[in-house]
Amino acid sequence: MNSVIQTLLIGVIIGSLYGLVALGFGLIMGVMKFVNIAHGSFIIIGGFISYWLFTFLGIDPYLSIPLVMIGMFVMGLVLYQLLFSPLLKLPRPEMRLDKSLLITFGVIWILDNIETLIWTPNARTIITSYSASTLNIAGIRLSYTGLIGLGIAVMAAVALHFTLTRTYFGKHVRAASEDSGAASLSGINVRRVYLISCGIAAALAGVAGAVIVTSYSITPSSGLSWLLTAMVVIVLAGEGNITYILPAGIVLGVIQSASTLVVSPAYQQPIALIIFILILMIRPHGLFASR
Amino acid sequence: MTASWKKLLTTGIILVILILLPVFANVGTSIMNQIVTLFIYIVLAQSWNLIGGYTGQINLGIAAFFGCSAMVTHFIWAAGAPIYPAIVAGSLSTVLLALVIGIPTLRLKGMYFAVGTLALAQAAAIIVQNIFPKAINMPGSYVQAFDINSRYYLGLALAVIAVAAVYFISRSKLGLALVSVRDDEQAAQVTGVNTFKYKVIALLISAVLAGLAGGLYAYFRLSFYHTSTLFGNDWSFDALMAAVIGGAGTIVGPIIGSIFLVALEYIFSLTLGQANLIVFGFLFILVVLFLPQGFMGGVEVIRSRLSRFRRGSNPEIEKNTSLPGINETALNGNANHSVI
Repeated sequence: MNSVIQTLLIGVIIGSLYGLVALGFGLIMGVMKFVNIAHGSFIIIGGFISYWLFTFLGIDPYLSIPLVMIGMFVMGLVLYQLLFSPLLKLPRPEMRLDKSLLITFGVIWILDNIETLIWTPNARTIITSYSASTLNIAGIRLSYTGLIGLGIAVMAAVALHFTLTRTYFGKHVRAASEDSGAASLSGINVRRVYLISCGIAAALAGVAGAVIVTSYSITPSSGLSWLLTAMVVIVLAGEGNITYILPAGIVLGVIQSASTLVVSPAYQQPIALIIFILILMIRPHGLFASR
Repeated sequence: MTASWKKLLTTGIILVILILLPVFANVGTSIMNQIVTLFIYIVLAQSWNLIGGYTGQINLGIAAFFGCSAMVTHFIWAAGAPIYPAIVAGSLSTVLLALVIGIPTLRLKGMYFAVGTLALAQAAAIIVQNIFPKAINMPGSYVQAFDINSRYYLGLALAVIAVAAVYFISRSKLGLALVSVRDDEQAAQVTGVNTFKYKVIALLISAVLAGLAGGLYAYFRLSFYHTSTLFGNDWSFDALMAAVIGGAGTIVGPIIGSIFLVALEYIFSLTLGQANLIVFGFLFILVVLFLPQGFMGGVEVIRSRLSRFRRGSNPEIEKNTSLPGINETALNGNANHSVI
């Protein structure tokens, strides 16, 4: 019984990380209707920046998160200015989606190889003094890094939620994502909204990377598997449903974690694929959709 | 009529040269290997072209079909069956995978098909790697009997089959239905095209073509050091890149794209090493942004500019006098016609 609870709790921790990984992806998807496949590579870059800050300057990975966020925010702005803004001229939303898929596919190709050149294909991870220590409650052991990751994921999701629902900027974002034409007619600078949300999405990728690098090892090519997880989470949450991304991530994490009780842990990715297909067949608008 | 005559003649001359090449000229094993790789690329790029270029559904995981067929072909061939039935069986085995991913995702619009295929390739790689953790080898007698010329002719035949298949499909009623799905799915549905059915058919044919490439690869490379390379994203990337750079939605485009890619890879990998892939990434993005129809589209644009220049007419006047439907495709190049 203890091991079952332990597995489920680890599932919650992993799932919160999945939610964190999917947040930035879901933001771009929801606001601009762009699919940023390079999100996985952004996450890995964030992880590598955190790794460098730790090895060269000795900054604790969790304290370096603001620095990583600033760096990634700038990268997001550059990505938008160079590659996404030309796509806004396209007349139909489906064309934007397809083109953004292709362009960010090329971005993966570029970023992954640049990462390999800079950081070599070796697996990297950060080992701090508290990496191995665990919290022990009634026989259930949870690692501190995992718990901090859970906390950061919840904080990021809540912050994003309140930014979108309570602030003036969030109102602009929601207006632009619902009807960009009407929003710009009523005086919202839609391009600026897009620009900043793209930056925020990249910054969120950086946070995810910094959290990942403390408990997992990263390699330049591992971005794609994180990206796939993010996509499955988005499908679970329902497209454009940013509030439910973290709960959907936790659902996925718990399911995957519970599956390790039955099948080998090596089959996590196929299980995510099966969940993806099942959701599309049963509830194509996501688990939490009211329709 | 004369134009089609010319095309037929050019195709015939190229084919005769390709058929006679190994007979009369000894170009060396290294170049022969590159040419066989080129044939694999052409088949894969045409496969992507059918689903991505003509039907407008972006497939990011063609490696799943490629790898599946390569594995099946390998084991049937190793079991003692002749190679041709093995390749046919291998390419037909991809139909199952295509149905598994196609039926749930092609019903929906948006990113689902792209995500599903990407996930399929990733999952297939992991499953196969878990089942076959070691390198897979052919028995020694197969290695001794290795002969590059037979690979060359089989590759040539498969490339011709793939190009011909896509050509005849694009000229048929099926091709018309596929293009209508690409250009405006809603309008196609309203006019009575069963878009879901046609998308699945396109995916199935595309999967079988990718399977042919996989079978050829299994015949060409006898042993696989690491099974995950078969399902690696490189295959999906390369097929997509060749089709898009050359011109998705045209017949010649993917062929030109494949030649371009293989040639550049051959040159750059010697001089630039790892950085050559970065060059490809930049090139790909530039083509997607500025040449939506690839090189073929670029050629069209230049040709139409030239003819306009020769006639000395003003495009603005032409715009007002010609039919609305025509001027849109002629002037904007591809606003209407663009695939991706």
